[in-house]
Amino acid sequence: MESTSPVQPKSVFVKDVPASPSASHGTGTKPDAIDARAHLAAIVDSSDDPIISKDLNGIVTSWNHAAASVFGYAPEEIIGQSILRLIPPELHSEEERLLNTIRTGQRIEHFETTRLRKNGERFPVSVTISPIKDAESRIIGASRIVREISDRLKSDESQFRLAAIVDSADDAIISKDLNGIVKTWNFAASRIFGYTAEEMVGQSILKLIPENLKYEEDEILRKLRAGERIDHYETTRRRKNGELLDVSVTISPIRDESGHVIGASKIARDISQRKQFELLLIQSEKIAATGRMAAAVAHEINNPLESLINLIFLARQDSLEGSEAHKLLLTAEEELERVSHIARQTLGYYRETGTPTDVFLHDLIENVLTVYNSKIISNSISVAANFNDLQKINVSKGELLQVFSNVIANAIDAMPAGGTLDISTRNFVGASGHGIQTTISDTGIGIQAEHMPRVFDPFFTTKGNMGTGLGLWVARQLVESRGGQISITSNSSKKNSGTAVTIFVPFARPQSSISGEQKNG
Amino acid sequence: MVETYTDAFYFADESLSRNLLPLREDTASTERDRSRRKILVVDDQRLIADTIVEIFKGAGFDAIPAYDGWSALEIANRLRPDLLLSDVLMPQMNGVQLAVAMRRSHPETKILLFTGQAGISEILLEGKEQGYEFELLPKPIHPLKLIERIKERL
Repeated sequence: MESTSPVQPKSVFVKDVPASPSASHGTGTKPDAIDARAHLAAIVDSSDDPIISKDLNGIVTSWNHAAASVFGYAPEEIIGQSILRLIPPELHSEEERLLNTIRTGQRIEHFETTRLRKNGERFPVSVTISPIKDAESRIIGASRIVREISDRLKSDESQFRLAAIVDSADDAIISKDLNGIVKTWNFAASRIFGYTAEEMVGQSILKLIPENLKYEEDEILRKLRAGERIDHYETTRRRKNGELLDVSVTISPIRDESGHVIGASKIARDISQRKQFELLLIQSEKIAATGRMAAAVAHEINNPLESLINLIFLARQDSLEGSEAHKLLLTAEEELERVSHIARQTLGYYRETGTPTDVFLHDLIENVLTVYNSKIISNSISVAANFNDLQKINVSKGELLQVFSNVIANAIDAMPAGGTLDISTRNFVGASGHGIQTTISDTGIGIQAEHMPRVFDPFFTTKGNMGTGLGLWVARQLVESRGGQISITSNSSKKNSGTAVTIFVPFARPQSSISGEQKNG
Repeated sequence: MVETYTDAFYFADESLSRNLLPLREDTASTERDRSRRKILVVDDQRLIADTIVEIFKGAGFDAIPAYDGWSALEIANRLRPDLLLSDVLMPQMNGVQLAVAMRRSHPETKILLFTGQAGISEILLEGKEQGYEFELLPKPIHPLKLIERIKERL
C-alpha cells in the first residue's frame, strides 16, 4: 500500500524490524502488521526531531532520518554502537544516570544537555526519554526524542543580548503603549530621569512631561497611531527631583505581528550639556562680535572725540569767564564728557592692554580706587579693604580694571551722601574650580527688586542721564569671557540698604577663550 | 589759539619727511626757562597733537608737537624732553617703537602712551618682548585729567 504511506519510509532503521524499504511492502505475509509498522516508521522518520532507541546497555537500536541529519552519522555507522558516541566525554556519567532512571520505568522529559555531532561539534539539545517495554512490560530499552535547541537558545540569547544592549545604552530607552503607559524602562532612563524601573513601569509617561508641554504627548500619540516616527525631537522633560532637562527624543511605533501599532519605543538623549555648550558658544560669539564692533567704532570715534574735547576746552579757556560763550562751551564740554564716558566704558581701554599677565587682583582694585579717590573723598565714603587673594592670577589687566572700575563706580554713585565701600578678595573654590572671589559691597541706596532682573541688560540704567546702562553689562561680558561669574544682591529697604557684587575669576582660563584668540588661530 | 604748521608737510617716505621737517624755532626753547618741564606730544592726527600742546602750554608746560615717530626722535635729540606723550597707532613708526627708541636714547625721559584704538595689544607685546612696558592712557581723556596724569609723573 505504498500509496497510503505519507512518506517514503526508506530511512527508518529499527533493529528488530526489517528496516529496509523492501521490508515495508515486499513480503505481504502480515499485511496489517506490516502496514501499521510502516506507518509508525513513516511517522518516526518524518519527524524533524531525531528519534533514537537504545537498549538498556546504551546500544543504539534505531536511528531515524532526522537523527542522521542532526548528528551526522548514517544509520549503519551508529546502530549497534554505544550511545556514548553522541555524548561529550565529560557527560558520560550523565548517561548512566539517565539509564538508571529509565530502568525504574520513569520517563525523562525535556532534559537539556549537550550532544556531539560526528564532526565533533557540540550543540545544545532537549531530550525526552521514555522506557520501551516488551509484551510482559519489562523494560528493554529506551526511546529518545532529541530536539536541537540551538535556534531557541540562540533567540533567547539574542533577546538577552538585546536587553543587555538596551540596558547598557547611554540613552534612555523606554517603551510605552498607545495610552502612554510605560512598559519598559532601561538603566539610562533611571539615570537620566531619576525614576527606577519599578517606579515607572505601569505609570503614565506624562510624569516626565512638564505641565506646559503636556500637549506634546497627544500629538506624539496621534502620530504614532498613524504609524509615523518622530526623529530627534528636541524638547524638555522633568526629572523626578523636578529639575528640567533638555532631551532629544526619537519615537518609533511598535507593531504586533499583524502590523498594528500597539505602542512606541522612545529613545531620549540628555542634551542639557550640549545645549549649555551651544548657549556658551552663542554668548562667546556675541562677545566676539561686540569686541569687533567696539574696535571698529572706537577707531572712528575716540580720536575725533579727543580733538573735540581739546578744542572746546581751549575755546572755553579763551572765552571770557562769565560770558555766555563760556557757559555754552562749558555745557558742551560736559555733554562731550558724557559721550567720552560711554566711549571709554564700552570702547575703552579694556581691549588695549595686551596679553594676559599674572597680577594680584588687589593691585588692580587699588589702581581703580586711586582713580576714584577724589570722588570717594568728596562723597565722604570710607573704604574698608580686606585683601586675601594670596596668589597672582592670569588675566587681561585692562579687562579686569574695566570690570572693577565699572562696579566700584556704581558703588560710589549709590552713596552720594556717604557710606562704606567694602572690598574683599579671597581664594575660593567656585563652580568653575579654584579662583579668586572679589566682593564689592556698598551701603548705598540699593537696587529695587523690580530692577534686579535687568541690571545686567545693556542700556538699562537707574541713573537717568548720568548712567549709560553699560557698566554692569560690559563687566559681565568680560568676567564671563574669562570663564568667571558675576552676581549681585541688593537690599533697597530703608534700613540696611546696600548692594553687593560678587565676582569670581577662576585660575584656569576657559578653553575656548575669546579674549585669548590667537593671531594664527 | 591753535598753531598750524603749513611748512611741516608730511610725506609717506620718512626720509623725505625728515629732510623737509622744519626746525620750529618758536618751540625750540633751549634759551627758555629751564625750570619749565618739556613735553613732546606725538600724534599723527595733527589736530590732537596741536590742541594738546596748547592745553599743556596753558597749564604751564613747555610743549612741542610732532606728527610722526622720526621727527619726534629728531626733536627729542635736540630738546631732551622730560616727558613723551605719544599716540600708539601711527604710520611708519608706531608709538611703541618710538617709545622703545626713546627709552634707549633718552632713558631719563618719562613716557606715556595714549590711544583710542582697539587692537593694539600686538604692538604693546612687541615692546614687551624687547623688555619694555609702557603706561597707557585712554583716548578720549579730558584735558584736566590729562594734565593731572602728566603732573603725577613730572
